[in-house]
Amino acid sequence: MTTNPLLVAKDFKSDLKPIWCPGCGDFGVVQAIYRALAGVGRPPHEIAFVSGIGCSSRIPGYTTAYGFNSVHGRSLPIAQGIKMANPDLLVLCAGGDGDGFSIGGGHVAHAVRRNPDITYIVMDNQIYGLTKGQLSPTSPCGLKTVTSTYGSFEQPVNPLLYLLSYGAGFVAQATPADMAGMASVIEEAIRYPGFSFVNIQSPCVTYGQETQQVKAHRSQMKSLASVGHDPANRMGAFELASHYGEELYTGVFYRNPTPPPTYDALFRGRQAELATKVPRDRILDMFVQR
Amino acid sequence: MSIPSVSGSGHSSDLTIGMAGSGGDGIVSAGESLIAAAASQGYHAIMTKSFGSQIRGGESSCRVRIAVDRIYNPGGVLDVAVALNWEDFLRFGAELPVGPSTVVIYEEKTGVAPDKLPIVGVVPTDVFAVPIAELARKAAGTDMAKNTIVLGLLAGWFDIAPEGIVRGIRKRFAKKSAELVAANEEAFRVGTEYAKSHPLRVPRVLKRPLENTGGKMLLDGNDMCAAAAIFAGCEAFGGYPITPSTEIMQFLTREIWKYGGTVMQAEDEIASIGVAIGSSYAGKKSMTATSGPGMALKTEMLGLATIAELPLVLVNVQRGGPSTGLPTKPEQSDLFQAAYSGHGDVLRPILAPTTVADTFRITVEAFNIAEEYQTPVIILSDQEIGQRKETADPIDTSQFKIIDRLKPTAVELESYNRFRLTESGISPISHPGMAGGNYLASGIEHNEHGDPTGSGALHKLMNEKRFRKLDPLKQRRDLFAVEGDVDADVAMIAWGSVAGVCHEALAIARAAGVRAKLLVPYLIYPIAEEVYDDFFAGVRVGLVVELSHQGQLYRILRSFVDVPRGVRQMTRNGANPFQPREVADELMKLASAPAQVRGAAASAGVTQ
Amino acid sequence: MTTNVQGIDFSKLSLRDALDLAILVEEEAKERYEELAEQLEQHRTPEAAKFFRFMVENEAKHRADLAERRRVLYGREPSTVTRDMIFDIEAPEYDEARAFMSLRQALEVALRAEQKAHAFFVGAMPSASDPAVRALFDSLRLDEIEHQNLVQAQLDKLPPDPVAKPEDYGDEPVSQ
Repeated sequence: MTTNPLLVAKDFKSDLKPIWCPGCGDFGVVQAIYRALAGVGRPPHEIAFVSGIGCSSRIPGYTTAYGFNSVHGRSLPIAQGIKMANPDLLVLCAGGDGDGFSIGGGHVAHAVRRNPDITYIVMDNQIYGLTKGQLSPTSPCGLKTVTSTYGSFEQPVNPLLYLLSYGAGFVAQATPADMAGMASVIEEAIRYPGFSFVNIQSPCVTYGQETQQVKAHRSQMKSLASVGHDPANRMGAFELASHYGEELYTGVFYRNPTPPPTYDALFRGRQAELATKVPRDRILDMFVQR
Repeated sequence: MSIPSVSGSGHSSDLTIGMAGSGGDGIVSAGESLIAAAASQGYHAIMTKSFGSQIRGGESSCRVRIAVDRIYNPGGVLDVAVALNWEDFLRFGAELPVGPSTVVIYEEKTGVAPDKLPIVGVVPTDVFAVPIAELARKAAGTDMAKNTIVLGLLAGWFDIAPEGIVRGIRKRFAKKSAELVAANEEAFRVGTEYAKSHPLRVPRVLKRPLENTGGKMLLDGNDMCAAAAIFAGCEAFGGYPITPSTEIMQFLTREIWKYGGTVMQAEDEIASIGVAIGSSYAGKKSMTATSGPGMALKTEMLGLATIAELPLVLVNVQRGGPSTGLPTKPEQSDLFQAAYSGHGDVLRPILAPTTVADTFRITVEAFNIAEEYQTPVIILSDQEIGQRKETADPIDTSQFKIIDRLKPTAVELESYNRFRLTESGISPISHPGMAGGNYLASGIEHNEHGDPTGSGALHKLMNEKRFRKLDPLKQRRDLFAVEGDVDADVAMIAWGSVAGVCHEALAIARAAGVRAKLLVPYLIYPIAEEVYDDFFAGVRVGLVVELSHQGQLYRILRSFVDVPRGVRQMTRNGANPFQPREVADELMKLASAPAQVRGAAASAGVTQ
Repeated sequence: MTTNVQGIDFSKLSLRDALDLAILVEEEAKERYEELAEQLEQHRTPEAAKFFRFMVENEAKHRADLAERRRVLYGREPSTVTRDMIFDIEAPEYDEARAFMSLRQALEVALRAEQKAHAFFVGAMPSASDPAVRALFDSLRLDEIEHQNLVQAQLDKLPPDPVAKPEDYGDEPVSQ
C-alpha cells in the first residue's frame, strides 16, 4: 500500500475515449474522480474501480486504475469480493441510479451493513439513458417517458434517505455544476474509513429535463455548509435529505464522527486470531476416526 | 468389489441397515454412532439420511451400509430394517426397501403383529417386535435412550463394531455426566443381551475387517469438497444458505480464516457469486456453492466470469427440481442447466464426483482447470454425495499438483494486453495491485487490451480464443474411468452418485457371466467425443443410467457422439434410488435380447 | 468564481506564482478544448470540432507565450501553484458541448469561456497586493477582451443558425 504525492489528475486518465454524449454530466464526474484520486495519491495499479451497466458504468475504463465493467446492478458484490481478497486496495464502485436503486437495489443495504472501506458513487440522472429514455427509480412521479407514456404512477426512491437509514457512515451529494466541490466531496468520501456514498446529480443531456441540466443546477444548488448543517448531525441530515427532488443540496449530509471498525479490519483480525501453522495438506486430519 | 452376500457360515461381509422413526427417536444419531464405530474399527461404510420436510421432529431415517471391502453406494434392499414406528418407516418407501431376507426389528408397542407387517407383498423370515422403549426405561431410566437400545440390538445380533460403539457412547456422553455414560452403557448392554437371547433364524454376524485398517476418515461430500477447496488454495468464498449445499459454506466459515481466507455469507445467490468473481479478479482462488434454484440465479454472473476469463469454481449440489422441487433428495437433473444455461456462446467445464472420497480429487481438479484455463468450472455433486457420510482411506495429498493461473512476465507487463490472442487461447492474467497490469475487465466484448468493442471481427476472434483454450480438456482421459471387459459389446455409462450403483451392477452382471463394461465420466462437459467413440466401438447394447426423468447426459451425448442404437436410457426420477441388482438385471436382459429400436428402457420399473 | 479556485490567496501571490497560475489556466483551457473536439469528432460534429481544434492551438500558443515569460524571469525555479487549485477558469464547461452543435454554437461556447476568464482576472485583481501581479492580471484581462473580440468578429460573419434543429432531421439516438 503506497501513496505518491506527485500523482496528478492526468495520471488517472486513460486513453480510452468516452462514448458519452457531448454535454453529459459524467464528463465532469470522471474529471472530479481524477482529481480526487490524485488528491488521495494511491497509484492507479492499487485501485480497483468496479461498475455495473449503464452509461455511467463505462467510467472505470476511462481511468488508468484496474477496472471492472461488470453486469447490471452487481458492482457492489464484486467490489466487496475484491476488498475481501485484498483489503489493501482502494476500491471504488460506480454506476447509475438504475444500477444502484433498481436492479441492484438489494445489494446496497447489505454493503452498508458490512461497512467495507469502499466508496460508492452513483451518477443519478433520473432516467435510463443507455436504453433510450425509460423511467428510472429516481424519476419524479408523473414523468412521461417511453415507458410511462402518460406519466408514471410511482414515487421516486430517495437515495440519500435510503443510505442514511441503512446506517451508512458517509453520505454526500454533488453536481458537476460545482466541479471543485464535487472533487473534494469524492476525495473526502474515499478518505472516510468505511462505506461511503456520494450521490451525484449528473444530468442526462439527451433524455433529461431542462430543469435537470447543469445550467439549472447552478442556480438550484445549495451547499449544506451554507445552510449551517453540521455533518455530524445525523437527524439533521435526515431532514435535509428528505428534500431530495425538491432541493439540490451539495456537500456532506452525514459523516460518522466515530467511524466503527470496517469489515476489512474485522476479517483481517479474524484471520490473524485464527491463523494456523498447520499446512493446507493436513486439512483432512480432522476427519480421521480413531 | 463386494456384492451383498450371506455366506454359509452365518457370516456377512456387507450389511445394509435402514432405520426410521420420528426426529425425537434419535434414529439418525444412532446411525451416526454406528458408522463412526464402524469407521474406527476399519470397516468401509456409507450412511445416507432422509428426512420429512419438518425442520424438527418430523420423520427421519438413515441407511448405514457397512462392509469389509470398499463399497461405492448406499446399498440396495435392506439387510436389517429398524422401525420405531411404522408410519414414519413407510413414508420413506423406496428409500428403505424391505425384502424377504431382511431382518425386521420394530418397536413392540406399535401393536403390529409380526406376521402382519404393513409391508405389501413381502414376508421377511426374521421379524422381531422388541419392547425398545420399555428396555430403555428399565436400563437408562428414560424412553429417550431408545436409540442406544437399538445400537445394542444391532451389536448383539450382527456384532457390528461393539467396541467402537461403546467408545462412541463414552465420548458422546462424557461431556454431560458420568451417570449418563453409565446409563447408556447399560442400555447398550441390555440391547445386546436381548438380541443374544433371541437368536436369528439365519445368523448374520458381520465379519471383522481382514486386518486392522482403522484410522479411516469419515465425512460427507460437502465437507470433503470444502476441505479440498482449502487444500487447492481457495481463499475466498461467497455463499448463500441453500439445501443441500450449505455445509460447504459452514465448513469454510469454520476453517478458511486459519489459512488467510475469507467467507462472506452474501445477501443473495447473485451477490455470493459476485463476491467470488470479485475475489478471483483480485487474484485469489475463489468458490461459491449452491443448489439448483441458486444456480439459476447465478447464471448471468457465470457468463461474466466466462467472458472476463476469470477462474471460478461453482459447486451445485443437485436436488430434485424444478423450482423448490425436492430440497433434501438427490437428482441428476441440473446437467442441462450446468451446460447450457445462460446466454451467448459459452463452454463451461463440468466435473462430477461419484463418491465422497473422489470429491476431493474432483474439487482439486476443478480449481486446477479453473486456474489453468481462466474459466468458471462447475462441480455437479448431488444431495446423496453431498450429505452422505462415507468412510475414506486417508488421501495422499502429495500426488496432487496445484495449478495457479499464468501471470504476466515483467516484459509482458511493459505493454500488457490482458486478452492477448495466443495460440493456446490462454493469456497471462494480472490482478489489481500488480503494477503495469492495469486493465479493464468487462462483461462487454473487448479487444486484446480489454477495451470495449462492438466489432464482429473481434467478437469472433475472442469467442474462438475462449473455446480454443478448453480443447486440451477433451484429451484428459484421466478424467474418465473404464471398468470391466474393455472389448465387451455390452456397456453402461453412469455419472455422479449413480456411478457407484453401476459399479456394483457391473460386478453382478459379470459374476453372472455377462461380458460388460462401464464408463464413468468425471469430466461431464465438454463432451470428449474421442473417449466416447473409443468406448462405443463394438458396443451392441448398453444403458446410460441416470437419476432424472429425462436422462440428460444421454441426450447431450446424442448431440455430440454416435451413440449405438442398442444403447438405451435407464432413467428414474430423483428420490427413487437405483439398486445395483435391478440395474444389473436390466443390463443382462439387454445383453441377452437382440438390439431393439432406440428408446427408454421400459421406464426402469419404479419401485415405489 | 471563487468556488473554482482552491487555496489561492491572491494577496500573497508573487509574480512568479501568478504567471504559473496563468499558465495553468491556459493549459486547462487547451486540454478542455481538446476533449470537446474529441467528443464532437466522435459524435460526427466536424465543424464545431474543427473550431475547438483551432482553440486548442490558440490556448497552446497563449500558454507558450506565458511560459516563455516565466522562463526569462524565473528560469527553472519550482512552481508552488498546482492544477488542483483551479477548475474551469478559462476552460469551457463540459455541459457546453452538444452533439451536432453548429459552428455558431461552438463560437458562443468559446465566447462565454473568454468572458468567464475575463471575470476571473477582474475578480482577482483587487485582492492582489503585488503591483506586478495586478499588472499581469490586468494584461491578461485585456487579452481575454481581445480574444472575445476575435471570436465575436467571427460570429458576426456567420449567418444565423437555421430555425430547424438537428434533431428535426437527424436519426434517433441508438440504444446500447
